Amino acid sequence: MTTEPADVLIIGAGASGGVVGRRLAEAGFSVVCLEQGDWHDRADYPGDKLDWELKARKDWATSPNIRGLPEDYPIVEHSPVSPLMYSGVGGSMLIFAGAWPRMLPSDFRVRSLDGIADDWPISYDELLPYFRQTDRDFGVSGLAGDPAYPPDPEDPPLPPLPIGAAGLKVARAHTRLGWHWWPEFNSILSAPYDGRRPCVQRSTCQSGCNEGAKASTDLTHWPKAIAKGARLVTGARVRRVETDAQGLASGATWIDRDGAEHFEPAKVVVLAANAIGTARLLLLSGDARHPEGLANSSGLVGKRLMMHPFANVAGLFDEPLMSWQGQFGDLIESLEFYETDERRGFVRGARWGLAPTGGPINTALPSRAGTQVWGPDHHLHVRSHLGHGANWGLFAEDLPDEANRVTLSDSVADSSGIAAPEVHYRMGDNARKMLDFHIERATESLLEAGAHSIEVDRLMRYSGWHLLGTARMGDDPATSVLDRWNRTHDVPNLYVVDGSSFVTSSGVNPTSTIVAIALRAAEHMIETRFEQQVPT
Amino acid sequence: MTGRDPGVSGDPMTFMDDHARTTFAAIAERLIPAAHGMPSAADVVNEARLAFVLRSRPDLLEPFLAALRPELGDDPDARLATLGRDEPANLGALQLVLVGGYYTDKRVKQGIGYPGQEAIELRSWEVPPYLEEGLIDAVLARGQVWRDPATGVRAVIDGSTKTYAERYWSAERRPEGGNDGRDGS
Repeated sequence: MTTEPADVLIIGAGASGGVVGRRLAEAGFSVVCLEQGDWHDRADYPGDKLDWELKARKDWATSPNIRGLPEDYPIVEHSPVSPLMYSGVGGSMLIFAGAWPRMLPSDFRVRSLDGIADDWPISYDELLPYFRQTDRDFGVSGLAGDPAYPPDPEDPPLPPLPIGAAGLKVARAHTRLGWHWWPEFNSILSAPYDGRRPCVQRSTCQSGCNEGAKASTDLTHWPKAIAKGARLVTGARVRRVETDAQGLASGATWIDRDGAEHFEPAKVVVLAANAIGTARLLLLSGDARHPEGLANSSGLVGKRLMMHPFANVAGLFDEPLMSWQGQFGDLIESLEFYETDERRGFVRGARWGLAPTGGPINTALPSRAGTQVWGPDHHLHVRSHLGHGANWGLFAEDLPDEANRVTLSDSVADSSGIAAPEVHYRMGDNARKMLDFHIERATESLLEAGAHSIEVDRLMRYSGWHLLGTARMGDDPATSVLDRWNRTHDVPNLYVVDGSSFVTSSGVNPTSTIVAIALRAAEHMIETRFEQQVPT
Repeated sequence: MTGRDPGVSGDPMTFMDDHARTTFAAIAERLIPAAHGMPSAADVVNEARLAFVLRSRPDLLEPFLAALRPELGDDPDARLATLGRDEPANLGALQLVLVGGYYTDKRVKQGIGYPGQEAIELRSWEVPPYLEEGLIDAVLARGQVWRDPATGVRAVIDGSTKTYAERYWSAERRPEGGNDGRDGS
């Protein structure tokens, strides 16, 4: 079947794909999106069911290698950290926690300030209007005025979520210590908003939100894009981006659930498949003219993968905190030690997020810090842990390293026969020193809050939520894949709008910044639509 | 409830023979015995609970049965040691089936004071206790935390607000901010 080329073909219906799809559809573009996963009915999510903790370890595991669903692709891991993602409309937002911090001004100037890594070609101030708009579009709850950020006259659209008994104890401790803390900004509704229901504190955010309170683009963006004429094709696994004789992207070849191959023509192609999926696709799209992969004249496609090495510090308290409840997007955060202090023996820093601790199955078989206890003392262990804990999650800034990279496997393929990505990753010395320092400080925090004991996971394996950097942006085509507007230097009608574009990782959860950058790219596509080079 | 919900009916005898049942009961007694006012897993994790877990997680069946196979002997401690050393995935499945069956039991949940992941209505219109206690004001009083790229050090802003009330009630900024019912469109 021959179809007219869409104005824009988006590959991936997750966070950034949803933002670009909605904005371009609203601006009158014809939009097609290919998504390898499917729509989900939130009534099916396990969070409100008795077997939630069982499902969370398989069907709703954050690692595609554990889930092994047909729409997942396997990832060959040469890494102490497992990359995490989800295929479906809404993408990895379906399983993310919902924490919504913005990157900070210094994060865009790492080379200038700390003499390491690189500066971004864009600044915090340039992103500010897009941060504000995406906060409104996704529905962000938070308390305005956080002095860890420059003053912003615009408040978040919704009041903050509760910080819980654990958050209050730690907030009091930080007041005594003179350390920063703030109620976390979450893309989780604290009140009805835009036709969605508020959070009910079930704490099952990473298994899909039964209430629809946690933002994901299947709720917040795609219905609006489709209402404006966008066409979203699910079960569509893209094999490669095609190019024409002029070197322009002409569309994508994809495979449906029955194994039939299709071609979707387009005037502009936008990759929004996360920093592993997008790098994989660019590498898969090589040909005689692009032997190293598409848009890869710099040789940087797939390189500089960053995943935020993550440590967990758990404090246990005598008094019950009911800490199995509360948004799993964080209760409170601390940026006290976020900015560089070279006296610590490393540069950059880490963000802390205080999170709930899970139910009894997780208490008996902890997925984070902690031990298994069997025999008669098992009951004492569960009683002392369940609902008595508070977890500081520590996100360390991951400096770019070309040795940390995505390549194509020559032996492992997905269910469509397409080469799987291989992830080669090691944690750098700077990040190790950073995590060690922050573990000590987080321990002090929890002890000050009254914890009687501390349990530490110094590098959590299943923590690669934040996939960044494999197609970095920059002004120089020799040292970057994308320009400052997320367009590939090599192919003028090919864009990458996911976290691949990140120059450095910052030390904060990146989704807020990813979607702000994606919206900025979409606005630029609209402004320059009449200058856009397209296939003839 | 949906079609994906597991039922609790079903006959685990179709996949567990007498040896497997006996072995599982011995392991259950060893790992979670009756103590401290709580029942033993051997008493709690009956056929219905096993069926519940394995219907929810059919992927566990094969490694679960592998962990109970006769070749590993009759001594539960030796079996657990062998599994831990040589077959951690099978041990993990055995433990998860056991724990999953135990902690989804109503009596056990009552015993540990765990009602399940409940839906709790938010009262977002109420002033949070940390504001009333002045904890936010304490943060604001310490000044800016962010590092100004222009100077490389913590930012200093003349005239920045020192209390939350001062910021919230600032007539100058209220028209631009506040939770004013925008619909997000």
